[in-house]
Amino acid sequence: MNIVEVQEVTKRYSKHTALDNVSLSVRQGAVFGLLGPNGAGKTTLIRILNRITFPDQGRILFQGHPLQAEDVSQIGYLPEERGLYKKMKAGEQALYLAQLKGMSASDAKKQLKLKFEQYQISDWWNRPTEELSKGMQQKLQFIITILHKPSFLILDEPFSGFDPINTNLLKDEIMQLSREGATIILSTHNMTSVEEICDEIALINKSQKILEGNIYDIKQQFKNNTFLVEVANDNLPDDQMFGDVFQLVSQKGNEHTTSYAIRIADGHEANELIQLLAQQSHIVSFAEKLPSMNEIFIQQVETFNNQHHAE
Amino acid sequence: MQNKTFLIISREYTTRVKKKSFIIMTILLPVLMAALIFVPVLVMLHSERSQHTRVLVVDDTEIFLNTFEETENTTYQYRSGNIDQITKETLDNDEFDCVFHILDNGESLRSNLYYKKSIPSTLQSSLESQMNETFFDRILQDSLHIELAEFQKLQDLTKVNITAIQIDKDGNQRENDADMNMVIGMMCGFFIYFIIIIFASQVLRGVLEEKSNRIVEVLISSVKPMQLLTGKIVGIALVGITQFLIWVVLTTGILFGVQLAAPNLFSSETSTEAATEMATGMANSPDMAALADGNIFQVINNYFPVSFAELILSFFFYFVIGYLIYATLYAATGSVVDNESDSQQYTMPVTLPLILSIIFVPTISTNPNGQLALWLSMIPLTSPISMMVRLPSGVPLWQLLTSMAICLLFLFFCIWFAAKVYRVGILMYGKKNGWKEIFRWLREA
Repeated sequence: MNIVEVQEVTKRYSKHTALDNVSLSVRQGAVFGLLGPNGAGKTTLIRILNRITFPDQGRILFQGHPLQAEDVSQIGYLPEERGLYKKMKAGEQALYLAQLKGMSASDAKKQLKLKFEQYQISDWWNRPTEELSKGMQQKLQFIITILHKPSFLILDEPFSGFDPINTNLLKDEIMQLSREGATIILSTHNMTSVEEICDEIALINKSQKILEGNIYDIKQQFKNNTFLVEVANDNLPDDQMFGDVFQLVSQKGNEHTTSYAIRIADGHEANELIQLLAQQSHIVSFAEKLPSMNEIFIQQVETFNNQHHAE
Repeated sequence: MQNKTFLIISREYTTRVKKKSFIIMTILLPVLMAALIFVPVLVMLHSERSQHTRVLVVDDTEIFLNTFEETENTTYQYRSGNIDQITKETLDNDEFDCVFHILDNGESLRSNLYYKKSIPSTLQSSLESQMNETFFDRILQDSLHIELAEFQKLQDLTKVNITAIQIDKDGNQRENDADMNMVIGMMCGFFIYFIIIIFASQVLRGVLEEKSNRIVEVLISSVKPMQLLTGKIVGIALVGITQFLIWVVLTTGILFGVQLAAPNLFSSETSTEAATEMATGMANSPDMAALADGNIFQVINNYFPVSFAELILSFFFYFVIGYLIYATLYAATGSVVDNESDSQQYTMPVTLPLILSIIFVPTISTNPNGQLALWLSMIPLTSPISMMVRLPSGVPLWQLLTSMAICLLFLFFCIWFAAKVYRVGILMYGKKNGWKEIFRWLREA
């Protein structure tokens, strides 16, 4: 079942169109990566999902019904441009924002104490927020986002500014929330983390959706019959074997082994390559080289832009 | 949903009320106000009381012998002889504080006042006026060829005394005076100006803070923009009202306390000279009678018997509506800009009418029913101040009600305007939004 369905949404501003007839659906329980270059329209889409702005055309379905004001209490939103009241005490501030999301004061306080404990910022409860380090402020913002146990989380560039330790902490937390049943939309430029934690993605470019689907399927779709072979250095294969059928893409080695990226021409199979190699060398490993999300992102955006530029 | 607006109001209120600057301002201002009222009086009374001046009059003309009027603080003795010798003798051994020498050189009067230490600033003018009066009476009496008793009778007969009496719409009369009206009007006008400047600009800064902080996006994902705006404006208004009430209570308390501690401060037992000095500019005021009776509250009460309720209600109306108009406009302004330094050019059109109305306060107060005063008290951006300046001098009821109605209508327009601009503005970052752009939002939103 889809928790969110974006149906043919269009949003125009005075001089440009931010979203042009975009449709996509987010499966209940998925970690959904919302990808796209800067200015593609991601933030506009996220704001529409939060009911901060409204589409000119199209509609949003939330749990099967049109998105309405009451649904906002089930949504947790961590904006890319995030801030806090500098002078307010950290605890008071979190309490205030949690209450605005509809939590009762006593419940919010109880939950906050636990979270502050878990994130090791308990000592900062009564300190003005401006005295907290950037990392601590980000922890605080994240706590505020998830405190009311939203079933649907929207995280816009959640990792920006975090050090590797806190990035891991955050990743673990996101995975944990996902296991507990939350659906998460993750907008990020960090493709490594997309591969690590996302199940599905949508790629938006120039206000249009150009790609959507399960990451495995997408990688299968964009694979180009390239394989990675690692052979022991004592018997290297003859360079003569590379040609039109087995095209050498790249080659690199260390003192024990050498790795080849080999593209197999259409109509030929990987098994042929293995047979050929096995006759000459000792194969250490053999794997299909799937394109990284990074490569797919760049390739798709460039192709799209070139096409539209040509028009 | 209403609950959230209440949450916002209470945050806006408590964070401001808990600030040190709020507490300091709230306590300090009444103390300053009271000091402003009392210190000059105290200083004057103190200096007049402690300084007893002994004047030795050496009158060569013999016209002014025994004519100077003794007061609590000033005593006169008369002597004749060589002025240099007398001066040397009496001033050196501190027998007198000063020697007043009236020279006899024919027609014109010349006189010198010799002293060593200091003499009260009022002594010279007091001597002058007494001499003038005596001299004038003497000449008049001489030329009329009548007896002194007869002359004094004549003098009493010709004494002129003007009492200004204002008649209100019910036909009640009350002694009044234009100067006091002017002072009250100006005070009300300035007060509203300060309220608007202080609290409406807090709305501007609050909106700007949330926007430049980027917390607004988190807030807007939880509440509607209108709730946020309403909460902020109402919260800050409550801070203003709280502060205002504390000021009223504290100032009254201080005045009352001083009244109890020093009941004679304003009474006639103190030197009449001081009282006369204090009353400069509002001489002959009926309030001075009450002042002389020693009750400052009676002075205040005497002043408002007829239009007190009207004045207070109108003040409250213009105070609240004026604040709301400027607060909503400032909120719209704050939402359009990214940071405080950019805000100047946008706040200018909003602040200008406020400055204009304060510039025209003196003009309006001297001519409260003129054309300028009438128009300024009708235009909604200037009327809160201008009308309050006019009001104590008496304004036709239809004018007051028209002005209030225009104000209210304009407020509704401002709310509509601010709501549209604010909703779009708070989420716009990085680009400068010209007025053209803002008017486009109005059409689209």
